[in-house]
Amino acid sequence: MSASDVIGIERLEALLRGDAPRTDGERARGALLAELRGATLRAPEALCTRVLAAAPARRQVFVRRPSRRLTFVVVPAALALAVAAALIHGLLGSGAAKTVQHGAVDQALSSAARAPKTPVFGVASGSAAAVPATPSLQTQLAPTVGSGTRLQHTEASLQVRVPDVRGLSAATSAATRIATSLGGYAQSVVYRTPAGGGGASYIELRVPAQNVRTALAKLAALGSLVSQQVSVQDLQHDFTVESAQIAQLRRTVAALAKALRNPALPDAQRVLLQIRLAEEKRALSQRLHARTGTVTSGTTARISLVLSTEKSIGPVAHHRGKLGRMIHSAVGFLGLEGTIVLYALIVLSPLAAVAALLWGLARARRRRDEQRLLTA
Amino acid sequence: MTIGGPGAVGPGVNAVSTSLDAPAALSARPGFADVAADHLDAVYRYLVYLTGDRSAAEDLAAETFEKAFRTWRRFDPRRGTPRTWLCRIARTVAIDWFRAESRRKRREETYARELPPTPDEALFGGGLSAPLEQALRELSPAEREVVALRVLLELDGPSAARVLGISQTACSTRLSRALQRLEERIGDVRE
Repeated sequence: MSASDVIGIERLEALLRGDAPRTDGERARGALLAELRGATLRAPEALCTRVLAAAPARRQVFVRRPSRRLTFVVVPAALALAVAAALIHGLLGSGAAKTVQHGAVDQALSSAARAPKTPVFGVASGSAAAVPATPSLQTQLAPTVGSGTRLQHTEASLQVRVPDVRGLSAATSAATRIATSLGGYAQSVVYRTPAGGGGASYIELRVPAQNVRTALAKLAALGSLVSQQVSVQDLQHDFTVESAQIAQLRRTVAALAKALRNPALPDAQRVLLQIRLAEEKRALSQRLHARTGTVTSGTTARISLVLSTEKSIGPVAHHRGKLGRMIHSAVGFLGLEGTIVLYALIVLSPLAAVAALLWGLARARRRRDEQRLLTA
Repeated sequence: MTIGGPGAVGPGVNAVSTSLDAPAALSARPGFADVAADHLDAVYRYLVYLTGDRSAAEDLAAETFEKAFRTWRRFDPRRGTPRTWLCRIARTVAIDWFRAESRRKRREETYARELPPTPDEALFGGGLSAPLEQALRELSPAEREVVALRVLLELDGPSAARVLGISQTACSTRLSRALQRLEERIGDVRE
């Protein structure tokens, strides 16, 4: 658009508003506008009758277009619904605590011994209420682990507080000695004493399953027991299944070997049997290896011991109350809702983009068509 | 016929317009009969200018008001005047007519004709000089349309642009060029 056009447009708008013309050109333009406006062109009588008489005779169709303000209602309502659903989920999902308290450890362990493959864990917690290391209490705290007749894997973790760095060093050495004396060993020891004081050592011990109870008692006696967790997993079923599979595979291998010894066996079938024999032997080897792992796991308990000085050890998190569990559950549910919405957006956004593009193209095409029709 | 207020259209219309006004009063907007009476001439003029055919404009005006009546509930006075709303409907109806005409002309090329001859009366209304009448006939529908909206119907820039579906600047430019072309044609005819 040229500058003269811009000026012309501005003056034209002024003329349309009724401003007085300034130049001859504007006077001519003003006269043209006046002539156009002065023309008498009215709707014919027939059209007036047709429109005004026909319109009321029809029934109105009450179709109300959704207001834009509906968006301001729908969106907060959806958000409120999501929050309400999360709160309801939180209320329903905040039942009894899933962890078994300290006093129920023995009962839980014995239950685990009766119920195969059910991991349980007991917790003795509370930094403020750290248990003094009296021998009698330590014995009481150490649970009875395993049934003795079944193959079970035991995992335990202890957190023990010692008075100072010197005590930390001594307790670390003592812990490894305890494991060795009971027929086990220390798999890893991490000993840290920062310059700022305090310190901690993290010890992974392997102890024979039959000595777990003794080991836990002795380890707990190294200082003040802060927390203790024990879990037992029954492996008897796994062992039985693996043994049955091994027996079956051995029979199959023997049968295949016997068949291959037959001199009348055709070459093609011999090759097939040899291939199958190799596969069965490989499967047998895998099963044997797995069973060895199961037996090892069942006969050796794993104990994770954290020894720390009073300064370095952090407070053990208090167990959540009902309100805490409710909030935690509600927040988790909200997170799940958010994730679902996010996934939906990720899935739908390309489709929406394509739809918007198609809509834009269709609109542009329609505009071009209209322009072509009206400029013809 | 000059259409004035509701009293000018006849007793039958007034009787019905009362029933139409009842729900309209609740939403503080005029009744459809009043709107139709007030703007029928304007819509008709717009359609005459757009199509260049009085007969077609008459049919299209009737169709426009029929469509407007069906969708009257959707009309929101806060988003525009009734005249603008009716012009938008009229334009949609007219474009459909143009499409149909285009298809018809393609099918019957041998019978195709330009603007319908109106020898006995002025197509764009009485009071226009012959050169202006002739010049208007030579403009394209798009040019006549913008002249009708801005000059005859006296819609403001934003409203006219909204009816045409273009920007306000484009609308003003189109009007300026249409009037310039009109002046040129008038000059050619007079010479």
